[in-house]
Amino acid sequence: MLTPAELVWLIAAVAKGDEAAFERLYAATRAKLFGVVLRILRRQDLAEEVIQETYVRIWNSAGQFNPGLSSPITWMVSIARNRAIDVVRKRSEVSIEEEPAAMEVAADSPDPLARREMTEELKRLLECVGRLEPDRQKLVLLAYYNGWSREQLAAKFETPVNTVKTWLRRSMMDIRECLGL
Amino acid sequence: MMAYSEDHIALAAEYALGTLDADERAQVEAMMSADKDFTAMVEAWEHKLSVLNQMVGSVEPRPQVWDKIKTAAGLSEPQAPLALPDPPPVAAEVMEAFAAADTSNVIRLSTQARRWRNVATLTTAIAAALVAMIAVGVYQPDLLPERIRPTPRTQIVEVKTAPSAPTPSAQYVAVLQKEGGSPAFILTVDGATRNFTVRKVDAAAGPGKSFELWLISDRLGPPRSLGVIGEGDFTARPTLASYDANIVNAATYAVTVEQAGGSPNGRPTSAPVFAGKLIESVPPAAAPAPSPSR
Repeated sequence: MLTPAELVWLIAAVAKGDEAAFERLYAATRAKLFGVVLRILRRQDLAEEVIQETYVRIWNSAGQFNPGLSSPITWMVSIARNRAIDVVRKRSEVSIEEEPAAMEVAADSPDPLARREMTEELKRLLECVGRLEPDRQKLVLLAYYNGWSREQLAAKFETPVNTVKTWLRRSMMDIRECLGL
Repeated sequence: MMAYSEDHIALAAEYALGTLDADERAQVEAMMSADKDFTAMVEAWEHKLSVLNQMVGSVEPRPQVWDKIKTAAGLSEPQAPLALPDPPPVAAEVMEAFAAADTSNVIRLSTQARRWRNVATLTTAIAAALVAMIAVGVYQPDLLPERIRPTPRTQIVEVKTAPSAPTPSAQYVAVLQKEGGSPAFILTVDGATRNFTVRKVDAAAGPGKSFELWLISDRLGPPRSLGVIGEGDFTARPTLASYDANIVNAATYAVTVEQAGGSPNGRPTSAPVFAGKLIESVPPAAAPAPSPSR
């Protein structure tokens, strides 16, 4: 994995149309982005489509990346993750029956791989998440890692959707206060 | 940053968390395209939460994914092969018309506009050269300067739309292009009826979004909607018929991303992502019976 500074440099080169830089950027980041979207989509073919769209978008809009506002990997993961969530939301509207099976497969907690990479920022966020009630900690992490909708979370926690909505909102506000956002 | 209500803050946070439904996500994206501060708030949430991904394991995608990316991004295609003289800037009126909206894309737009203009100029040059050759009744490619020999790229072939009407009238074409890629839309206008067709070449508005086409003329003030571009490859509309021919010819055509079904208030809610101007691609009666005048 390249350093953030190297990634910033690569994105700047990509913004100028440097194809070699784009290839290096892809090589350095593809596995992380694919891991994130595969976890949400749980289907190789859909995850590949999302990765493809994500990198085309990165190629076309690298000039919009602002290193003062975001880190390169955050910017790229956000594009991929948002696209993946758009895809699952569209799909669950079409057929919600598919979802329970996927839920059985889903792990209850985030993948403990790569814990060694934990940064100060992550520790701080987890500290804030950790101040929530245990059920709500799980709610927030399942939502983020698995891209679950309120309906899926409601099914998992055997709670009405409106309650989940309230919990999520309250939890995010608590995290906001804790982080000082 | 302006003060937002708790509802707005929660919406931004839940967008970043990922728990909104498709409609709410589209709503947030619409708000983001219209409000930089709100965008900054969403991005701040995305940034705060994204550290969670440090704990997600990496998975290698299959090698063919990269091939597909290269094709889709147009990487294997050559860049504009000819270095034409710098055309005059054409995007000034676009920038003015969209001054009220988020203008973060507009600097890019002038580059885009210049690039499509290069393609357009090149197309005109090749078309003119072809007409001249037919007129003298001799096909001698060697007479053509090396630079404009008719070996057009695919995108140029696309541009030279043959007239479909039984009596050929002038055809106008605008290449609406995205920076760094091939044309996204090709707009053709029939000179006689002013019916237009938008051909979607390579563009996706995204879920819950629509592309909307606008006519921008300094004579009309704010951009005028020409309607939402349909999901299919071709969208044909008569909506230009009510405009004066001079306005149609001189206008800039721009495409914005709007909420599904188009802008709710008849005005663009975001800066244009593609823009172009019309050029005459097929002179009247030139296609089936070339006029000897050129």
